[in-house]
Amino acid sequence: MSNHVIVDAFYLPNSIKLKNFQEKPIFVNGVNYLLRYPVIQKQELQEIAAAVKENRRTYLATLPTSEIVVKIDKAIQLWLNPDYPLRQLAESLVPAITGYDSDMVRLELKKYMRTFRKRELLRFLDEEFDQPAILDEFRPRKSGGMSRAFGPSTIFHIFSGNVPGVQLWSLVMGLLLKSAAIGKTSLSEPLLPVLFLQALKEVDEALAESMAVIPWKGGTVELEQAAVDWGEAVIVYGSNQTVEAIKKRTPVHKKLLSYGHKISMALIGKEALTADHFAKTLHKVAEDVSIYDQQSCLSPQVIYVEKDGALSPKQFAQGLAGELERYHLKRPRARLTGEEAMAIQNIRNQYHLKSLSSDKVAVYSSKEDTAWTVIYQEEPAFSGTPLNRTVHVYAIDKLEAAADLLKSYETYLQSCGLAVEPARLFSITSLLGAVGVNRFCPIGEMNSAKPGWHHDGGFNLIELVRMVDMERNLEYEMEKYDEDVE
Amino acid sequence: MKERAMAITNDILLFIDKYKEGFQELEEYEQDFNTLSLQLFNYQFQHNLPYKKYCQTKKRTPLTVKHWLHIPPMPIQGYKELTLSCEPADETEAVFMTSGTTNPEQKGRNYHPTLRVWDASMKYPFKQFVMPDKEKLTMLVLSPAEDLNKNSSLSRYLSNAVANFGTEDSKLLFKENGLDMEELIKELQKCEQKQEPVLLIGATFAYVHILDYLQEENLHFQLAEGSRIFDTGGFKGQSREVEMEELYQHFQAFFHVSRSKCINMYGMTELSSQLYDKTILSSCNGEVIHDKAGPAWVRTVILDPETLKPVEKGTKGVIAHVDLANWNSCIAILTQDEGVQTDEGFQLLGRIKGSEARGCSIAVDQLMQAAEGGASFS
Repeated sequence: MSNHVIVDAFYLPNSIKLKNFQEKPIFVNGVNYLLRYPVIQKQELQEIAAAVKENRRTYLATLPTSEIVVKIDKAIQLWLNPDYPLRQLAESLVPAITGYDSDMVRLELKKYMRTFRKRELLRFLDEEFDQPAILDEFRPRKSGGMSRAFGPSTIFHIFSGNVPGVQLWSLVMGLLLKSAAIGKTSLSEPLLPVLFLQALKEVDEALAESMAVIPWKGGTVELEQAAVDWGEAVIVYGSNQTVEAIKKRTPVHKKLLSYGHKISMALIGKEALTADHFAKTLHKVAEDVSIYDQQSCLSPQVIYVEKDGALSPKQFAQGLAGELERYHLKRPRARLTGEEAMAIQNIRNQYHLKSLSSDKVAVYSSKEDTAWTVIYQEEPAFSGTPLNRTVHVYAIDKLEAAADLLKSYETYLQSCGLAVEPARLFSITSLLGAVGVNRFCPIGEMNSAKPGWHHDGGFNLIELVRMVDMERNLEYEMEKYDEDVE
Repeated sequence: MKERAMAITNDILLFIDKYKEGFQELEEYEQDFNTLSLQLFNYQFQHNLPYKKYCQTKKRTPLTVKHWLHIPPMPIQGYKELTLSCEPADETEAVFMTSGTTNPEQKGRNYHPTLRVWDASMKYPFKQFVMPDKEKLTMLVLSPAEDLNKNSSLSRYLSNAVANFGTEDSKLLFKENGLDMEELIKELQKCEQKQEPVLLIGATFAYVHILDYLQEENLHFQLAEGSRIFDTGGFKGQSREVEMEELYQHFQAFFHVSRSKCINMYGMTELSSQLYDKTILSSCNGEVIHDKAGPAWVRTVILDPETLKPVEKGTKGVIAHVDLANWNSCIAILTQDEGVQTDEGFQLLGRIKGSEARGCSIAVDQLMQAAEGGASFS
């Protein structure tokens, strides 16, 4: 049929020609799109791997970092134009692929893409290296001698989930380190990294030639092993099972960065519940819960609300229910699978049944469907939810006590949205930091991690590079061999 | 038992008697079913306070509910969380408990002040679905019967099956220290020699162990024509998981029992009736149907997990049952099983698992695992 628009959900260097494809029709805004995926074998993957590696050697590896930054920035500047065709394609296709509300995708992508502009990238580099030029040449050290940082020549990225665009961070990190990339995308959101590389190609085709992005079914051992063998470093996002499986197949000497599943929370002090603050507080928490349907680990699943505010924790839960309903009307949640919906029905039933015999438990939820759920409990505890705008609200006497509730979950904790008076800021962040929380931010901004953040408490670029030292004496000793020196 | 309980159970027993062989007049049956279910709902609303509360929070009362489809189904977790009994819970003939595979501390309980209704509800469908062509069969029982477990509905079921429809040669082969494999083999050999039809009956996972044993010992049986294999309950982590189709192939290979004589029973502690594959019933009339059906006093509905409203035939959803025999707890229950309605009844597709999170966020199930031995969960 002639009126189909074919969209490739993969990105490969020009020299690679594949033959086997699968197509998935997507009908959106009156256009029939065919999303095209390659079906690849090990040998083809190895050819792709060899090609990007060679392209990197002859071009990307020779570029100074500052030039790479400029090129990425140029690609992002293209994106920041609302009329840019690839951006428009993303804005219509990503909601159709993921089920997310299209306004939400448009706004979030716009905000997200800005985090890769030149100034943000420079800050990101500066955050981790005293002098980013260390990635280009030997630079003097304060303690004497010189050092240079070498990024891995090749990185195998394993992406997961369907929060649109998270893959970009990883790809950009690789570019800054002058590494060739193979990115394995998840079929649930394969498009954005591909479109990003196409934008990069418009800026500098040779640069994009060192990158490949291909979706395949996670756990395809033959392909994954080939890619792990090829990569000098491996970056893996996913469930603990995925991470463990990849870890097992990665030799010890290879650098492996893993980002497993995490859980985030918000702490609401009574000072944020006063008559002039509470409405905004509720609104912001509802946004944090609703953006990308809570699929991101940055989104809170648990809210601790302090007692003795103008608004009681129970009133807070009711108010949050109202805000979630309003948000849902504005930006409806994605359609769920039967399993996902049933998981929400189950947790609702569980607490609803408890509420029959206890007034310390209450469930507030959307009437006709599973669009949103607030589970209120007067006894504070810690528990996850099935996501998709399902949240626990616990009453707590003093926010500082939350640290005790969280300490058993150290390895799973991540972000914490805060609304407290300045006098308590440092005590609360110290207490929670000590038990595993690694990012604090204002409520309403939980889904937007800032450039240069310590992702899950670690470094990003530094973890991937290999430092090479020239000792202090070397320079002087070598002078001896200069015939011209006295 | 109070008078009003006597009255309602008598009405239900009359219904069971009237419809034990199915119905002739659809309209009359629909009316009878609706009338009695509303009457029973009204009774439970008055005497089962937690259920009443639950219905009130769903804004459904006998005043607003005019059709059995609108009776709020109690989620099966309610049988763990609440005491769901119209009669005093300590004055019962039996309490059936769930096996509590997920949390041994917290078992679901179904209280039976009398077992008259339960027994009647068990008896006729068993005859209809398992042995429509036989009055009696030699039964080899592979799971604990009532003498070993007073609190298991399956144990009561197995004992009743033998008492009502078993020949004198029937044997309870599950002893205090487990299934007596040697005696089973002996009994199978006896039946094979005599060419006497036999009914193997027990939990699904029991067959996995038996088949492993037969394979190891290299034993095969040519069971007589008319023999059949009955399983129930799935694997529940009691054995390795096996595809049902693989199990049926092994039944053919090791027992010489064809797929059309294999029957799966779908029962739950939280219900007082059972549902069955129509294989045996239909194969007696020629064409073999694998879908499930139950007696006339049970209606099975498939609901959309998103809205909990009935879906169209052919669409997958979560299973709810309305069971008139469940007179002392809740007439309607919401399961965690997935199913699909068909022209012939419904298909059971298995348990709906808590789904894994799509994104990088950790979901509730995994966190539960993380918390084992950790902080207490509310």
